[in-house]
Order: sequence, then C-alpha cells, then structure tokens
Amino acid sequence: MTVTAPAHAPAPPTAPARRSGFRSAAVTAALLAPAGVTIVALVLVPLALVVRDSFATADPYGGIQGGFTLANYQQLLDPVYLKVFGYSLGMAALNTVVCLFLGYVVSYYLAGRPPQRQGLLLLLIIVPFWTDFLVRTFAWINLLSPGGPVNTLTDALGLTDGPTRWIPSQGASFVGLVYAFLPTAIFPVYASLRGVDPALGEAARDLGCGWWRVHTKVLLPLARPGLLAAALLTFVPTLGVFVIPVLLGGGKHELVGNLIVTLYTEFRNQPMGAAASVVLLTLMIVSLAVFGTAAGRLRRKAS
Amino acid sequence: MKSAVKSLPDRATGWLARAVIVFLYVPIVVVVVLSFNGSDVTYKWAGFSTRWYGVLADDTDLLSALRISAEVGVASATLATAGGLLAAMGMARLGRRFRVAFSGGLFLPLVIPEIVLGVALLAVFGTLRADLGLTTLVLGHLVVTLPYAALIVLGAHGALDPALDEAAADLGCNAWQGFRRVTLPLLRQALVAAWLLCFTISFGNIVMSTFTSGVGTTTLPLRVYSLLKGGLTPEINALGTLLVLFTFLIVLGAGLRQMRRILVGGDRTPG
Amino acid sequence: MSRRAASRTLLATSVAVSTTLFATACGGSGSDAASSSGGGKNLHVYAWAGEIPDSVVKGFEKETGIKVTVDTFDSNETMTAKLSSGSSGYDLVEPSQYTVQQLIGQQLIQPLDHAKIKGLGNLALKFRSPSYDKDNKYSVPWIWGTTGFAYNDKCIKSATSWKTLFDPKYKGKLYMLDNMLASYIAGLQVTGHRATSTDKDQIADATAALQKQKKILAGYNSTNYPQLLAGGQACAAQAWSGTAMAKVVQSDPHVHYVIPEEGGSVWTDGFAIPKGAKNTTSAYEFINYTLRPEVAAKVTDDGSSASANQAARSYVKNKEALANTAIYAPNATIVKADFLLDPGTAMQYFQQGWTKVKAS
Repeated sequence: MTVTAPAHAPAPPTAPARRSGFRSAAVTAALLAPAGVTIVALVLVPLALVVRDSFATADPYGGIQGGFTLANYQQLLDPVYLKVFGYSLGMAALNTVVCLFLGYVVSYYLAGRPPQRQGLLLLLIIVPFWTDFLVRTFAWINLLSPGGPVNTLTDALGLTDGPTRWIPSQGASFVGLVYAFLPTAIFPVYASLRGVDPALGEAARDLGCGWWRVHTKVLLPLARPGLLAAALLTFVPTLGVFVIPVLLGGGKHELVGNLIVTLYTEFRNQPMGAAASVVLLTLMIVSLAVFGTAAGRLRRKAS
Repeated sequence: MKSAVKSLPDRATGWLARAVIVFLYVPIVVVVVLSFNGSDVTYKWAGFSTRWYGVLADDTDLLSALRISAEVGVASATLATAGGLLAAMGMARLGRRFRVAFSGGLFLPLVIPEIVLGVALLAVFGTLRADLGLTTLVLGHLVVTLPYAALIVLGAHGALDPALDEAAADLGCNAWQGFRRVTLPLLRQALVAAWLLCFTISFGNIVMSTFTSGVGTTTLPLRVYSLLKGGLTPEINALGTLLVLFTFLIVLGAGLRQMRRILVGGDRTPG
Repeated sequence: MSRRAASRTLLATSVAVSTTLFATACGGSGSDAASSSGGGKNLHVYAWAGEIPDSVVKGFEKETGIKVTVDTFDSNETMTAKLSSGSSGYDLVEPSQYTVQQLIGQQLIQPLDHAKIKGLGNLALKFRSPSYDKDNKYSVPWIWGTTGFAYNDKCIKSATSWKTLFDPKYKGKLYMLDNMLASYIAGLQVTGHRATSTDKDQIADATAALQKQKKILAGYNSTNYPQLLAGGQACAAQAWSGTAMAKVVQSDPHVHYVIPEEGGSVWTDGFAIPKGAKNTTSAYEFINYTLRPEVAAKVTDDGSSASANQAARSYVKNKEALANTAIYAPNATIVKADFLLDPGTAMQYFQQGWTKVKAS
C-alpha cells in the first residue's frame, strides 16, 4: 500500500483520554520503559553525582574529598570564565545557523531525488565520517598549510601571494565545526521533510505561490520538528567540543568544552569541573525553556 | 511528478547541496592519496607505495580496535534506534505536560559535557563493581546516541497524521498490525537515518569511550588518538581508505541492483 | 510503491554495511578476541601507545606463556580516572613521574615488593630512587625523555635558550605545547625560577611572561608540531623528545632539538601495580623481563625512545639513536634538568594563572 502523509495541517495529537484506561496506560509505560530506564540509570543517577561533586572539595592529589562548599561556584564568577562562556555561546549559535541553513538545503535536495537514490545519497553523506576524525582533521591541516593544495590554487587564481597561513586560525576552527556537525543537521531535517508529500509543494506552486512562499509557508513549517531537533543537536554539543579548537584553532580561543576538560584533567579539579557543568546545564535548560515557550507562542499565533 | 522546468532558486539550491556533498569529500580525497605515501610521516610525500597496506594487514592491535568499534557501533545504534522508536510512540500517547518532561529527560545527555557524564558514569560503574568492558562501552555509547535517535524519530513521528492510527483501527487492524503496516513503513527512512547517524557517532566517539572502555576493548578512535603522541603514519590513512572504498562497493552494488530492477521494470516507481 | 522501494534499499544497504563490516573486522583479527578468557595466566597492561614495542610483548608471551593484553591511553589523567573507579581490571600501568605521586597520594597503586624484583641495578643512576618516588618504592622507570624546544635553522641560525620562544622577532611562527605544566617549565625558567617551583609569586611571574608570550604565538600545539617545524610553518616550537620528534630530526637536517640552557626538564614513564590488581605475579614477571638490558634496548631500536636502563645502551643496535639528542639527551645537558613534580597544593596558582593565559 502507498501511504503518504496527509495534505492537511496536522491535527493536535490525540489525547489519550479516548483509549480505555489501565491497559492503555500499561502499553504507554512499556513503550517508554527502555528509554526511560536508560535515562534514569545512566544519566540521572550520574548527574546527581555530578551535582554532589560540584559542592565537594578536592584533595591535594586530585581525588574528591567530599564536604560542602560553594567555593567552586564562586570561582566561576571570575570574568575569565564568563568570557569563555560568552565566546562559546556565540560560536555555537553561529555554527547552528550555518549548519541549519546548509542542512535544510541538502535535505530539500535529497527529498526531491528519486526515492531509491535518497538512501544512497544519505549513505554518501555519512561515509566521510567513518574515517577517523583525527585523520580527517589532519587532512584538512595538510590541505590548508602554506604551500599546500589550497594555497597553490589561490595563488594561481591571484587571490593570495605566496605562502599564506590559514591554520591555525579561528576561521579554520569554524570550518572544522561546520564540517563536523553537518550530518547532525542534515539527518533530522531530512527525516521530517521525508514525511511531507511532494505533491504539497506542487499544489502550492499551482496555486500561484512563488518559490519563497512555498518554502516559508508550506515546507518550513512542516519541517519544523526536524529543524528544532537539528538546532538542539548542533547547538548544545558544539559547546562541548574541545579537539577542533585545539587542532585547527591553535588552542588560543577556548570553548566551554576545553575549559571543562582542562578542569577535569590538567587542573585535576573535578569539583570545579562539575560546578562548571552544572552552570552550563542550568544555562541550557533555562534557554531551552525560553526558546520552547517562544516557539509555542509563535505556533499558536500562526494557527 | 517532477516539473520539467525547474525554477532558478531550485537549481541554485540544488547546486549548493551538491557543493556541500563535495565539501564533505575534500579531506577524504587527501586521506586516500596520502595512504599511498611511501614516507614514514603523512605530511611529506615520498613516492607511491602500498607498504602501509601491508603494515595495516599485520597490525592486530589496530584491527582488533576496528572490530571493537564496529561491534559497539552496531549494538549501540540498534539499541538507541529501537529505544528511540518506542519512546516516540509512547510519547504520542502522553499528555502534553508529561511529553515535555519526558523529552526533557531524553535530551539531557546532550546538555551535559561528555567528559563529565563519562567520569560520572565511570564512578557509577565503579560503585556497582561492574567490570569495564564491552557492556559498559555499549551502555556509555547508548547514552550518547539515544538523544539523536529519539529526536530524529520523534521529528518524523510528529509529522505523521495521528488520524492514521484510527484509520487503521477502523479498517480492522489491531494495534500491532497498525504498527507493522502503517507506522513502521512510514518511519522506515527516519529509522535508517537515525541508525546511520547513531552508528557514525558511536564509531567516532572518543570521550565516552575513554571512560567506559576496559581491558581489551580499546576502540579505533582511542587507538588512533593515543598514537598521536608518536606521530601518525599513513597506516591510519590506509585504514580510512579501505573503509570508504568498502562502503562505496556496497553502495555501488545496491545501485546496480536498482538499475536492473528499473530496467526489468519489476518495482518501478511511478512518474 | 516508491516509498517502500526506497526504504527497502536503505534498509538492505545499511544491514549489508553493518554485517560486512562486522564480518571483515572479525575475520581480520579473530585470534585475540578471547583475550580475557582461557585457562592460562593473563596480564592486563595499560600504557602509553608505542612505549611498549610489540617485540617486547611477543617475547614475553613466548617465554612465559602469559597472555598479555595491552590497552593504550593518551593522557595520565584518563588512566588515573580509570584506576580510581576501582574496576579497571588492569595489573600494570605506566604513569609519568608526577602521576606516580598523585597515584600514591590517592592510594591507587601498591608498594612494590622488592624481593620479587631482579635487575633494578640496571637502571641509570638518575632513575634509581628518583625525587618523586624514593627508593623506587612504587614504580620502575621504563622510558625517559626531556622537555625542551626545537627550531628550524632556515629561520633561526642557532638557539640555546627559552628566550627564543619569547622573541617577538618570530611572531606568528612560534608554538608552545598545549599543556599547562610544560608551558610553565618554560615560563618559570625564562623568568629565572626553577621548573619545580611552588611559590605563588614565582608562578605569577611565569604567568605574566606566558600571557605576554601568547600574543606572538601562532598557537598551542602538542600533536603535530614536529610536522610544523619540518614544513617551516614554525620557526621554533616547545617540544617533547621521543618518537615523533626523533623521526623529524633524523629525516630533516634543518630541524634541531635543544635542551635549553636554563635547564629544561626530564620526564619518565614507568611501571606500577594498581591496588587490587588480580595478576600481580604476572606483573612482577613482566617488570623483571623489561629490566633485562637486552629487552630494554628494544624501546630504542623498535620505538625510537630512550630507555631508563643504563645497561641497555650497549645492546642498542641503532647507534645513531644513541647520539640523537631528541632521543638520548647528552648527560651534560641535563645536569640542571629537574624531574617535573606534582605541584600539590600549589596547583591552584597554576590553575588560576593558566586560565588567565588561555582566556586572555
């Protein structure tokens, strides 16, 4: 049977009320159990530990001593740390915007290909990431080094004159970030665009909608769950990245990820690392809540 | 089905999309070229040679690391995708408030820096006296990949019309049949996309692996990362090349099968 | 049927990919799959990659029949984290000198029973009863090296002092190791202090010097700096001696490795037995095996590293390696070089200072 997603706007999700009582609740619980148990046992419990450690003191050898102190949080108020937080948020936002744009463009392209080819293209997109991250990064370094292939090309085109240093730089670091997060942005958007009936775009076009309106009024709203997911999956993990800024950026500008890794390793100050994580976590939850309410209000206004 | 004349913006975005895919392969080309480097170091070309493929074939440490990574990747991607699918279906049955709470829990691991979660998980495993090894490694990767799987499947599931379930029920399908015949086929692409992304994330993971691997379970990225100290050799490039080549063969194989099907006309697509 | 066809191919492809990947990977190395099982004796080693040559492991297995599993780590800290969980399962670890102090402090390694160890006398004097582990009570040094710097003579004629790395003349062509303790060796010594200093004001001096230096640095790098030196992208870079540096010095006559006249520093990675290790007998056997001069010589011949074993030097076949400063630093140059020690409570000064440097 050929099932396509409906052309009309999605109705609000079915309320469980209609389903009959206990059996239905049991089914729901069973469906949620695997993910739920994983989250509780492998995320919430360790998280509780992290929160506990963030109030502890470290012994002189780097072990956790216990006790209760707020010093770890007080130290984080140092402007030095705030600067790192601010820089990271900016980088992550920029990366998210670029990745989402490219992710949408690629997904739209994918969804317009013949169905059999879509799977292959998806594989084609993911295959480069099966080569080890470090090997790929060193390939970039080789490419961008002075007198390397890219430099030779720009010299020939008259864009540069002689050996030029592209690496390490913040620009290189940013390109590395975009590269690393592209599939994370493409996949969720594609997955949600995939459920959209292609006839929908055609219909809109037949009704006289221009290219821009077809996208903004029809396709983008339908791809919204995927775009939201992609935004989350790009923005948040970018904050934790630490190898790219070191290898491509020369380690001169740190992201929060670098800070926390340094606290956990070189500074052997786990309690303060834990405190930094709790702050990051709180910041994220607050901004997500704000983001969520705003998105919800927007949606209600739209409908 | 496809309009004969494509609009200009459509063509422009099409080219941009192709350019992005090419961009993804830029470093891969370098990796492949340098794998045939006769030199001891990757950055200096010393003539064409296949010696590093020979070195790779004898490197049991690296190959066993590859095996571990493949095993862990398949196991954690499968678990994460299955868990994500069930969670998405379960969440559709929840009221709004519970749904928000549950999805909050699902992406919590994303918000905690991996090193922090890794160290904390290690402490939990230590308290439970669980021996570090394949199991702890898979559990660690499950935590990392579950949010990705869940969010992708949720996104696709959210785009489905809830009326479909009812329609299936009206047509006399029970819940299982409805799932098998309606929901699953519609979500298949999303599931495959989720699985692929999860496998890829697990296959390349360094940080979580650092803290959850145990005796005899050093993964490929861990192995490569620790080799950095002594300088990487083109051997790693050779391994990367083989992985890419191998995947291409499969893609090509699948492509040929499709071509034949289209020519013979068995499973033809309309339009 | 378009949708079904598409998903079917997708599914088929991904299943094919995964199964074949599985199959090939398994076929590639099916033999060591059962590393931890089996009735024989086992030894689980956790070490720096490349520091225990394959030849040593194979030789030991052949002689004793003990099955050795070697896992590798990329930093002392990850190894420490594993040990502190208490369920790592390792019998022998290879910490650096300052980490030995931390592991002793956290009670994660056990005192060695010297009655079971033969051949400690083969160690070079510098490694017998070193400052970080009196009487080798907890650790047996295996590999050593120095922290210095390297330069390319196409750019700098000659250099002997840390001052080169602080010279604005080479702005944009200088690199420092991306490592706090290593950076402070240079920072402390260039301001006239000892690398082992734990004094608050001296550390502040070093911090100021490093902060000023950051403006002229191209970056911090502890991975591919030998490559940058050889390619001329770096005029000078702080460097660790050992495999990667040695390779470049050997292959490129323009790159020179120097132990700075201010002293530099000596590091060493040695063997220690974790608390709760299950196969201690095998661990002692391995330590004894590696203390033999002819076995220790293999780290130089097969791994381009310096052995802490004095007696091993006459067994080294590659005489060039003995003369390579980036492997064996000449005795005269390391007179002033201290072992870098764990800063203990002074860590807070380093942390504050380094955070300032990195965020400036």
